[in-house]
Amino acid sequence: MSKVVGIDLGTTNSLVAFVSAGKPEVIADESGGTLLPSIVSIDELDTVHVGREAQRRLLTDSARTVYSVKRFMGRGIEDVKDEERWFPFKVSGEAGGVVHIHLGDRELTPPELSGFILRELKRRAEAFFMKEGDFDPEVAAAVITVPAYFNDAQRTATRDAGRLAGLEVLRIINEPTAACLAYGLDKRREGIIAVYDLGGGTFDISILKVEEGVFQVLSTNGDTHLGGDDLDRILVEMVAGDLGLDPATQADAVQAVRKAVIQAKWDLSEFDEAHIDVADVPGRVEPYRRHITRSEFESLIAPVVARTLEPCRRALEDAGLDPGQVAEVVLVGGSTRIPMVRREVERLFGRKPHTDLNPDEVVAIGAAVQADILVSGRREMLLLDVTPLSLGIETMGGIVSKIILRNSTIPASGSEMFTTFVDSQTAVDIHILQGEREMAADNRSLGRFKLRGIPPMPAGLPRIQVRFQIDANGILSVSAHELRTGIEQAIEVKPSYGLTDEEVERMLIASFEHAEEDINARMLIELRNDAETIVAATEKTLRRPDFAEIAAALLTADEVAAIHAALADLKQAVSTDDRDAIQVKTTALNHATHHLAEVMMNWTVQAALAGRTADDVAAKGR
Amino acid sequence: MQPDTSAIPIDPCKHCGTDAPVDVHFCPRCDRILTLGRHGDYFTFFGLRRRLRVDLKDLEPRFRALSRLFHPDFFHNSSTTERLASLERSSYLNDAFRTLRDPLARLEYLLKLEGFTPKESRDASTMVPQGLLEEVFELNEELEAIQDMRAEGAPDEAIAERLDAARGPIEANLAGHERELDSLMAAHDERLEAGDAEGRHATLAELRTLLLERTYLTNLLATVRREMNGGEAARL
Repeated sequence: MSKVVGIDLGTTNSLVAFVSAGKPEVIADESGGTLLPSIVSIDELDTVHVGREAQRRLLTDSARTVYSVKRFMGRGIEDVKDEERWFPFKVSGEAGGVVHIHLGDRELTPPELSGFILRELKRRAEAFFMKEGDFDPEVAAAVITVPAYFNDAQRTATRDAGRLAGLEVLRIINEPTAACLAYGLDKRREGIIAVYDLGGGTFDISILKVEEGVFQVLSTNGDTHLGGDDLDRILVEMVAGDLGLDPATQADAVQAVRKAVIQAKWDLSEFDEAHIDVADVPGRVEPYRRHITRSEFESLIAPVVARTLEPCRRALEDAGLDPGQVAEVVLVGGSTRIPMVRREVERLFGRKPHTDLNPDEVVAIGAAVQADILVSGRREMLLLDVTPLSLGIETMGGIVSKIILRNSTIPASGSEMFTTFVDSQTAVDIHILQGEREMAADNRSLGRFKLRGIPPMPAGLPRIQVRFQIDANGILSVSAHELRTGIEQAIEVKPSYGLTDEEVERMLIASFEHAEEDINARMLIELRNDAETIVAATEKTLRRPDFAEIAAALLTADEVAAIHAALADLKQAVSTDDRDAIQVKTTALNHATHHLAEVMMNWTVQAALAGRTADDVAAKGR
Repeated sequence: MQPDTSAIPIDPCKHCGTDAPVDVHFCPRCDRILTLGRHGDYFTFFGLRRRLRVDLKDLEPRFRALSRLFHPDFFHNSSTTERLASLERSSYLNDAFRTLRDPLARLEYLLKLEGFTPKESRDASTMVPQGLLEEVFELNEELEAIQDMRAEGAPDEAIAERLDAARGPIEANLAGHERELDSLMAAHDERLEAGDAEGRHATLAELRTLLLERTYLTNLLATVRREMNGGEAARL
C-alpha cells in the first residue's frame, strides 16, 4: 500500500514525518537534515530549486527566489502591500484576487510555489522508503498542517498546493493541535494544555482538554501574520538604515543582511551579546559589523512579542478558564527559543513552559500520528478541533449574520433561510464571510455564490434553506434547497482569494508539462557536464608535448584520426540542446579513446616504475 | 400515554434497507452508520431525558464516546454514504453538545422544542417585558440625565459614580433572576420525574418569562457598560 505521511508546511522550514511500527519519525534527506528550507528558486533554464540550493540562490539570484510563501497563501495583494518592498521578488494581482509572484518570466501563485515544496518532501519521503527497501515506496497522500488561525481561503490554498504536488490531502490539521497530539502521545498526560506556537510567519494559541485519549480543542486564537519574519524585518530595517540600502535596487544585499541578522538573532538566544556581520556590502570597502546586546534586541522586539499575549488572553476567556487552570504549557515553533518569549509566556500562564520537545519537529510528528490514525482506523486517540473564526453571510445593510460561531467543534453545520424580494425571482446572490466583526466589509470575504433555479413564486414565498457544512479540515461547503418544492439549488461558489477547480486543473496540467521541462533541463545539464569532462580530458592528453612520441609508438594513424573526429563531433553536439546527440557523441568519444586511455595509463605506470614522474618523461622527450 | 411514533419518518438503512428505530446510530442488522434524518432531538440523541439540569460529568463522557463512534477519522476508508453519514452525525453531535453543555442554551432549546418560542423573536428582544417596565423607565431617565451631565462637562468621577449607582439595581435584579431560574429548572426536573405534565408545562411558561426578562436585563447592563466606555473614550 502506498504511504501516507505527515507534513509540516512551514513558513521558514518544512518537514515530513512518518509512523513506522507505531513510532513516529521525521524523515531526513540524503545528508541527514530534517528541515527543508521553504524556499523556491527558478533559474534561467526554468529549473526549479527547492530547499538549501534555493537558499543559496537567495544571495546570488534573489529576484528569482521566493521565501515565506506561506504568508501569501489565500491572501490578496492588498493584504501584503506593507511588507512587499522587503521581499526580493515582485508580486502582483488584482484587488480582491489571488496574489501572483514573479520569478524571472514565470508568474506563479502561492499554491503552486507551496506545491513545489510539497513535491520535494514527497520525493524525499519516497527516496527514504526506497532506501529502506520498501516494495511500495510511493507517497500518494498526506496529512498537512496549517496554523490554527488560518481562514477558509488559506486552508483551501493549502489543499490546492497538495493537489498540485500530486498528493491527496487526507486531512488538514492545525499546527498547535498536531503539536499537542505529539506531546500527549509522548507524555501521556491529561488535563488542560495550552499550546503557544510562534513560528516563522504565524502565531497560534490553542487551549486543549485532553481526556481518555480525546484531544478536544476548547478555543483557539492567533494572528496569521505574526512570527519570526517580523523580528527579522525589524533588524533588517535597522541595518539597512545603517548602510543606506535600498530594497528596491539592492535586493541581493538586503538578503545578505537578512542572513546576518537571523544568525545574530539565533546567537542572542544563547548569549548576552552578538554581532551582526555582513561581509560583502556593495559600495563599501570594509565589512559591516554591529554589536548588539540581548537587552537591546529585546527592547526592539518587545512590541511583536506583546502582540502574542492578547490572543492568549482571549483564548483563555473563550475557553472559560483562568490561567491558573492550565496544567501545562507547550512551546512550538523556532521563535519560542527566544528567552524573552519564554519569559513572557511563563509570566502570563504563571508556570514554566515545556521546552523538552524539539519545537521544529513536533508539528510534523503530530501530523504523522494523525496520518496513522486515518490509515489504521485505530480509535485510541481522537482529535476534536474547532473552527477559529465565525462564519456568516452578508444581510441587508452590509451586516453580518453569523451562522457558525468561532470555537465551534468541527465538523459543524448551520443553516439560514432565504427568500425572494421580487415576484418570480429565480436567483439570489449570497456573500459568505469569515470573521468576528459586525460589518461585512470588515470581515474576510470567502466567496460569493448565486442560488439559481428557484421556482417562480410571489415575492417572499420561497423558503430557501442554505446549509453550511464545515468538515473535519475546517473547510466550508455550501448546499441549498427550496423547502416548498424540495428542489435542490445549483450553487456556484466563486472563491474570493482562492483558485477555482478549473484553475487548479489547468495548473496541474501545466505543472506536468513543466515537470517534463524541469527533468529535461536537469538531464541536459548532467549530460553536458559529462561531455565536457571527457572533452577536457581528451584535449589535455592531445596537448601533451610527448603525445606525438606516444602515438607513433603505440597507436595507429586511424586511431588518432578517429579520436580527433569524435572529439570535434562531441564539441559540436555540446553547443546544441540536443540531448540524444550529446549522449551518442559522448559514448562515441569514450569508445574512440578507450585504447588511448589504456596506453596513457601504461605509459604513466612505466614512467613511475623507472623512478620518474610522467612529467619528467615528458620533459625528457622534448 | 405512549408517544405517537407513527408520524416520525423512518428512513431505511441505505446499505441493507433495514428500518431502524429513531435515535439508533448504527443499523441493527448490518452495523453500518446510519444517515441522519431519523433523530428525535438533542436530548434523545445523547440518550437523555429532557432535564434542564445536566451534570457535565455525565454529559462529557457521553460526548467523547459518541465522537469516537461517529468521527470522520474512522470512516476514512468507508463508502461515500457512510462518510457522509459520519460527517452529518458528527456535526449534529457537536451542535447538540454545544447546546446542552450550556444551561441557558439548553433552556432556550428545550423551550423551543416544547413550543414556547415567541412568534416574532425580534419583537421579544426589543419589547420591554411587563415585569420590567418601571425599572427600564427609571434607568432610561437616569441615563439621559447622565448624558446631560457629560454634555455639560461634569467631572468623570461624578459620571462614573452615577453610572455605578444606576447599575446596582439592575445587577441585583439580574442576580435574583439567575437564582429563580435555577430553582425553577430544578422544579421542572422534579415534575418531569413525577410525570406531572401539567405542572411541568406551567413551569416552562414561567421559565420563558424569566428568560426573556433576563435577556433584557443583560442588554440593559451592556448599555450601561457602553455608556461607561463611552466616557472613557471621551476622556482619551
